[in-house]
Amino acid sequence: MFTRTDDKITTAQTVVIISCYMLGSGVLTLPRTLTERVKTADGWISLIVGGLIVLLAGICIVKLCQQYPGKTIYQFVQEIVGSWIGSCLSTLMILYFVAISAFQIRVMAEVTKLYLLEGTPMWVIVMSFMWIGLYLITSGINSMARLFEIILPITIVVLLICMFLSSEIFEIDNIRPVLGEGILPVLRGLRSTVFVFIGYEIMFILPAFMQHPKKGVKAMIIGTSIPLVMYMITYIMVVGALSVDGVVRSTWPTLDLMRSFEITGLLFERFEFFLLVIWIMQIFSTFTITFYAASMGLAQLSKRNIQPIMYGLIPIIFIVALLPKNMNEVFDFGDFIGSVSIYLFGLLPVVLLLITKIFKKGALKEDG
Amino acid sequence: MWQTIVSYIPDWIVFVQALVLLIVPIIIYFTSKWLQSALGSLTSEGTTTENKSEENTPEDGKAEAEDNAPFTGEYVTDLASIKNRIAKNCDVHFREFTMANGKKAAIIYVEGLYDKELIEVQVMKSLMFDDVEETEKPSDETKITKTYLMNKMLPISEIREALNLQQVVSDILVGSTAMLIDGIVEVLLLGSATGKTRSIEEPLSEGLLRGPRIGFTEILSDNTAILRRHGKNESLELIKFQVGTRAKKDLVVAYMNDIVNSELLEEVKRRIESINMDYLPESGYVEQLIEDNSLSPFQQAQNTERPDRVINSLLEGRVAILLDGSPFALIVPVTFSMLLQSPEDYYERWIPGTLLRMLRFLATFFALFAPALYISFISYHPGLIPTKLVMSIIEARQGVPFPSLIEALIMETSIEILREAGVRLPKPIGPAMGIVGGLIIGDAAVNAGLVSPFLVIVVAVTAISSFAIPSYSAGITLRLLRFLAMFCAAVLGAYGTVLFFLLLFSHLVKLKSFGVPYISPISPYRLDDWKDFIFRLPFKVMKRRPLLMKTKDSDRKK
Repeated sequence: MFTRTDDKITTAQTVVIISCYMLGSGVLTLPRTLTERVKTADGWISLIVGGLIVLLAGICIVKLCQQYPGKTIYQFVQEIVGSWIGSCLSTLMILYFVAISAFQIRVMAEVTKLYLLEGTPMWVIVMSFMWIGLYLITSGINSMARLFEIILPITIVVLLICMFLSSEIFEIDNIRPVLGEGILPVLRGLRSTVFVFIGYEIMFILPAFMQHPKKGVKAMIIGTSIPLVMYMITYIMVVGALSVDGVVRSTWPTLDLMRSFEITGLLFERFEFFLLVIWIMQIFSTFTITFYAASMGLAQLSKRNIQPIMYGLIPIIFIVALLPKNMNEVFDFGDFIGSVSIYLFGLLPVVLLLITKIFKKGALKEDG
Repeated sequence: MWQTIVSYIPDWIVFVQALVLLIVPIIIYFTSKWLQSALGSLTSEGTTTENKSEENTPEDGKAEAEDNAPFTGEYVTDLASIKNRIAKNCDVHFREFTMANGKKAAIIYVEGLYDKELIEVQVMKSLMFDDVEETEKPSDETKITKTYLMNKMLPISEIREALNLQQVVSDILVGSTAMLIDGIVEVLLLGSATGKTRSIEEPLSEGLLRGPRIGFTEILSDNTAILRRHGKNESLELIKFQVGTRAKKDLVVAYMNDIVNSELLEEVKRRIESINMDYLPESGYVEQLIEDNSLSPFQQAQNTERPDRVINSLLEGRVAILLDGSPFALIVPVTFSMLLQSPEDYYERWIPGTLLRMLRFLATFFALFAPALYISFISYHPGLIPTKLVMSIIEARQGVPFPSLIEALIMETSIEILREAGVRLPKPIGPAMGIVGGLIIGDAAVNAGLVSPFLVIVVAVTAISSFAIPSYSAGITLRLLRFLAMFCAAVLGAYGTVLFFLLLFSHLVKLKSFGVPYISPISPYRLDDWKDFIFRLPFKVMKRRPLLMKTKDSDRKK
């Protein structure tokens, strides 16, 4: 055919998918979760360090995937550790992806209910959102990548404009002194920063779809730096404007920042609407990619067609999303996913990489 | 432990919702599957019925055999067989005469289609008054051969021969004049149809201030001639197809042979050959029969009356399809940005060209989302509008008895009706109707308290914006989608609008026109193509053809 019919993505699209995945619910909550742990204004250093750690883990993942070109984690993990443990790991990962997509939807529904649609039942918000997500993912990763390519620039531009406008109430004193209480607070914050960078694990799957899997590391680096910069700007602006105490007290500090100033003379005086719009889009991208990753895992594990699995996963994700009873439980759920992520995707790639390096060396040489 | 787990088991209503969540997309999936197969089988059904008619009765077979039998060369029998076949038609005329050498001859023509002057002056005169010099006459008077006729007696450029009845009859009916001469086996077909045609005019649907004032007409040969006249260019190739099973029509596929991607060309040819329809009155039929997705609201081929646009597209590596009888040429593959571009962007300097394009993208946004945003802000989020503005809007809406959706629907529907009426009305009444409809009804509706003045502004801006889109067909699509956006906004406010945006783009990223992603070059990113997208950079920068076309020759300069 005139264009490729195989479902491949370019390097730029890989970058965009990673970035879109990472820029999820974190934009709204990151300043609070981070400040709660750090308790000083040094969270931005934690962010950089956390970003670097995630980047390292991500590069490990890419290196691992490059050993098995054209295969996703679900396919090659059984080759590394045997079919039993491999299946268990795959199932864990699928559960993890289902949990993340459910979590994202729930957070989105909560915020939408709070700020945009008071009184609308949660299931209406969630259902319409999930159907559109399903419509998108049934057409494969390439279409998703193309949609993300539209969403990401809009997100970056709107976020930057919002942050730029809030510079009016920014006070540099709020984020000083740098490292006033030493390095310890920074280390305390690492855990929550790693959580906002959830998304690097998608590289377990993406290299199988890349046109040039060799450029995986490059894609990983750029894909991580875009959210890193965005998060840094957000964090500094929010903490700078609301101060450490103010941030800790609010549930959605970034939205409160947007509500705390008004700019007269423009068509709109308040900008939280725009922030919410891009944020809903980002949640949509995170939801669809995790939904896709989970269905892909189930499809490859059970060696079935992916389409019916996508349809079948919808009610499961829906029920999981409605399990937490209130906002606090939602955040606990999020923390739990974060910890799982650290163990599952922080340690696992290193272990797997070691196993491959030690045991599979001979096998690889034979292939080459 | 058990207690906590139980407390997390959701209510039965959640399970019902989950079931609904699952069933609705499955129903939609099967409905669309069924629709697609129903749409796809339209053509295959056509073939089965056709086969039936072919094997209908033995009489038909007999008639066909007669059709394919060669002429005998005997004047009386041949004439009789032709007469038997088409003499019932009131517009077919038989003119019998005797040639200068005493042989019998007949001319058969269709009134209004045949070339009267050619036949009278060049054919009949030279045959009836034999003024050929004695010496050149054949020695044997009775032996006038076909070659002799063609070489010496008929000073006409367009002569064809036909050997059997079928050929003759079909050619006579499309406007050729047949000549039957006693003693000659072949029937000569002279000239071609010269029916009344329209002169070349400025295209009505795509007016430009600057640019060629030439538009396609209904005559295929004129249109191909216009394309040929664009400049000395050997690479322009025009291939002819015949489409339509009952009434055959010519269809020309035009392309630049050293630019176009050959796989694309093959795909276009394949789809045209698979057209199965008894008659194609307009290129819109072709467009709908070769498109990728019949369920999409978006057009998948661009129609244009402008030859300059076609030539520009050919040079970008696209393929044009021209159908006889239609002034609209089709350009494939199409991308969404093409629909928002006008040839004038290139004719004017690049700075105004760029600004005009940005304006059109903005207009598209308004045409799609303005009423939806109005509804969602008024009904759901008045707090997001500046306080002073919201005060004045609410004050203006005080007497309006309807929710904002009904209010917007009243105005939008009436303006759509108005526009539809304006197209049908005779030209002198059209503008008057616009004034009566737009101004008076709008004003009266506001005074009567049916709608708020602010909404009138929104609707007017929307309507004007949708007129700013250069392609009429794209405008219709946007008008249609606008109503969908309004309903989404009415149900879920700004959230619904965002969801509509996501749904729209989810559909757009899926859509392909002849294998080219519909919204490229927005995505996948092809930064080189961005030079001619929202921006129209100077020609010195635009050195390459669009990458997305995967052309054979990517360089615009040699």
